[in-house]
Amino acid sequence: MKDLNLYTGKRIARRNDGSFLHGSGQYTDDLDPADMLHAAIVRSPVANGTLIGFDVADVPSTATVLGPDELAEHVVGDLPVVWKLEGQWQERTPLLDTHLRYVGQPIGIVVAASRALAEDAAEKVILDIVDLPIVVDALEALAPDAPLLYPDSNSNVLAAFEAGDTEDHIEEVFAAADRTLLTTIHIGRVHGVPMENRGLVVVPSPSGSLIITTSTQTAHAVRDVVCEVLGKRQNAVRVVAPDVGGGFGLKDHGYEDEIMTVIAAVVIGRPVKWIEDRNESFLTTTHARDEVHEVEVAFDFDGKLRGLRVDAVRNAGARFSIFGGGPLFAAFGVLPGPYKWDAIRGYGRLVATNTMSTGAYRGFGQTQAALVRERAVDLVAEALGRDPIDLRVQNMIRPEELPYGTRTFIEYDSGDYQSAALRAAELIMEPAWPEDGKVRGVGYCCYVQMTGIGNSDTNRAIGLDIGGFETADVRLEPDGTVCVATGVSPHGQGLETTIPQLVADELGVNIDDVQLIWGDTETTPYSAYGTAASRSIALGGGSAVLASQKVAEQIRQVAGTMLEASPDDIRLTDGAATVAGTNVSVLIREVAKRASQGFGMPEGVGPGLHARHAYDPPNATFSYATHACRVAVDVATGEVVVEDYVVVNDCGVMVNPTIIEGQIHGGVAQGLGAALMEEVLYDNNGQPLSSTMLDYQVPVSASIPDIRIEHMETPSPFTPGGMKGMGEGGTNGAYACVVNAVMAALPDADNSTLHTPLTPARVWEAAQKRKQLD
Amino acid sequence: MTNERTVEMNVNGRDYSLRCEPRRLLSEALREDCRLTGTHVGCEQGSCGACTVIVDGRAQRSCLMLAVQADGSNIETIEGVGADSETGHPVQIAMHQAHGLQCGFCTAGIVMSLVHAHRNGISRQDVTKEVLNGHLCRCTGYVNIRQAIDAAWVELEDNK
Ligand code: FES
Ligand code: FES
Repeated sequence: MKDLNLYTGKRIARRNDGSFLHGSGQYTDDLDPADMLHAAIVRSPVANGTLIGFDVADVPSTATVLGPDELAEHVVGDLPVVWKLEGQWQERTPLLDTHLRYVGQPIGIVVAASRALAEDAAEKVILDIVDLPIVVDALEALAPDAPLLYPDSNSNVLAAFEAGDTEDHIEEVFAAADRTLLTTIHIGRVHGVPMENRGLVVVPSPSGSLIITTSTQTAHAVRDVVCEVLGKRQNAVRVVAPDVGGGFGLKDHGYEDEIMTVIAAVVIGRPVKWIEDRNESFLTTTHARDEVHEVEVAFDFDGKLRGLRVDAVRNAGARFSIFGGGPLFAAFGVLPGPYKWDAIRGYGRLVATNTMSTGAYRGFGQTQAALVRERAVDLVAEALGRDPIDLRVQNMIRPEELPYGTRTFIEYDSGDYQSAALRAAELIMEPAWPEDGKVRGVGYCCYVQMTGIGNSDTNRAIGLDIGGFETADVRLEPDGTVCVATGVSPHGQGLETTIPQLVADELGVNIDDVQLIWGDTETTPYSAYGTAASRSIALGGGSAVLASQKVAEQIRQVAGTMLEASPDDIRLTDGAATVAGTNVSVLIREVAKRASQGFGMPEGVGPGLHARHAYDPPNATFSYATHACRVAVDVATGEVVVEDYVVVNDCGVMVNPTIIEGQIHGGVAQGLGAALMEEVLYDNNGQPLSSTMLDYQVPVSASIPDIRIEHMETPSPFTPGGMKGMGEGGTNGAYACVVNAVMAALPDADNSTLHTPLTPARVWEAAQKRKQLD
Repeated sequence: MTNERTVEMNVNGRDYSLRCEPRRLLSEALREDCRLTGTHVGCEQGSCGACTVIVDGRAQRSCLMLAVQADGSNIETIEGVGADSETGHPVQIAMHQAHGLQCGFCTAGIVMSLVHAHRNGISRQDVTKEVLNGHLCRCTGYVNIRQAIDAAWVELEDNK
């Protein structure tokens, strides 16, 4: 156990800001190895067709072109899908397929001395394509006569699965309830839009080994895919994540165009760089959501929530992304939220269409679950004439009922959901509403977020083919400085600061002496996720705490020998090992030096001070929050302004509240964007309509109000250190909260169906269409 | 390429003489020819502001300018800002203290616009309401960047 808490919980300014503020960050595109060539990708211009010709006759000889046939010579397998749901037949997805199923699908690669020359040359490639009929909308793709994306299969349904209670049980609960309500929620397709696009630099060596530097959240997972599909040995491929300009779930795997770049570098035998441009990103970096949920809620006249039944169709795109239908599965898991229900049931279908794949994006289905549930709860409150917070609090799991097993087989850990909800309601109602004739509404979202996902056997049980552990490796160098190698991979989350905060406290050293090492398969422990799924502080942090505790014990042992005292009496603080209650001490750097020499080591310790811990958690952790916001709606134009925003958040022990608040701010902005403005659109021919930042609107500063945050701090009963993880929570809360506020501002509007984002046109239309009173 | 032109420019106090195709963007010339990679490219279309630099005293999106247009110009990039002081420009200090950056990719462009506004005495109100809206940041939700602006402008407005 740590002897002093000097850093954990403190608002320590980030330690790596300087390089970004002075322009010395090193992102993928900043690399310029000697002899490097540049690549451009030849992509499908059609949404469905068969490629029958790839003519390179007009390509200048200064460029090297690799078409589907040349590329295929280097490939030994298709792309893996690591999440396998019940009834899922697509367990791998085709690589280098001549059946083109979406606009932007990579077909070939052109390499030249500069990007401009590579692009010029790529334009000279002539494609011969036989057009096939196109289907873009998931519901249309379900029709019996819809074009089939995979003609060998008899339907476009890639997977269909059930979650939660049985049909019989839900029927029983619905029959016994006083009343039921039905609503349809269309969840728009979104793009995560990291500010840095994808890209990689591949440096081959004559011995056949490779160094791949790439903008990724997860260097190990990229190596997994590259080696699997190219038949390479993992110990000969080094993948490095340098500074990464945002990921948000999109950079969670190796993409087809990236694999083409690797092949090109191997074939040519020189370093090759490919950097995605913004247009390519909108076309071919995974999209997310695009779902239609038929939602039915059962309740009693006294406000008791009884049952929730959801029939959801998710547009999977042309093929599964690496996590397959996982986001919809995860959505059903957290559908209950903080409430007690008698029955919950989800039925989900993943449908193939001629669009880009939908995959992971901040929230991973939990954002949609929050919208579906919180809309349903608001409709119940409205039907009963109840205050929305009052009704929520009535139905919430109480602190003394935790741990609590949900109808979806999840066990919530700890917290006080009611207090968060009541406090948020109080805060949002404090400021007086302006009297300017505008229509206003307040909306809420109460959620419980599954974070710190694990453990490994649970992953296996739900069809997820990767481990749920994280590993840390902590060592003291001979001079007493500390290196912490971690499998998680920060790209904005501040782990370069927060993990050393934890380690410095465990070891009793100065944080300036602790360095985090991440994002390099050669120097860091294996991690299947890297940084994703709000796991990093719970699992990356948790493993660092456990490894540090082992090292602290080694320090106590060696110091005990040096000081002729019992290790149990040694306290580690301020860089010194001190015998408790005395001023007899030795500097930790002296202990490190002694251990590095191996002189007079106690039994079972050293030489050296070094420990590794793989932490496979007993259970996932569960953060929670209530978000509340006030919006003003201009009914004449449909424009929505979010005027005030409140978050009461509990993510367990906070390592650094400033960084947590930053994560909430960014998450709220993304949830608000999806609620009001962000939408990826295609026309009926599968041609993308949102392929620039002018068409796909990301919030600017004017869209985001100041955000008032209050913290609660209920430690996780599981995580060493008590942290729960929270990176996606802001998005989960904001999406539903903003939508609910808009609908609350328009009490007479027809709310039987809803379509996000609530663009001005949709809001204007809703305001015109009065609801039918029954 | 045969149609290369010579472009002479001074960047951060240092003279460069470059051979550029006419189509080469200023952002490309700065990043690839001058090897000043602190200037980032997020869209190459004028939408995101990541590539903002100061050209002859004006904040400019370097992806919307050709390198040849910058011939004879004095340019300042993120690498030159605050380089003359131990702690950096007040905008850099404030961004750090207010946690105004996360992944750091948008940061250089935002700092350049803010530094330009700070030097030209543009009011805090105008910076927050106008200048900042010309930039996209996907990580921070802008809340802490506005905090940083407030902090960096305190001294400026006090001196008025
Ligand atoms: S890169 Fe110039 S504005 Fe986006
Ligand atoms: S800090 Fe990541 S985009 Fe602004």
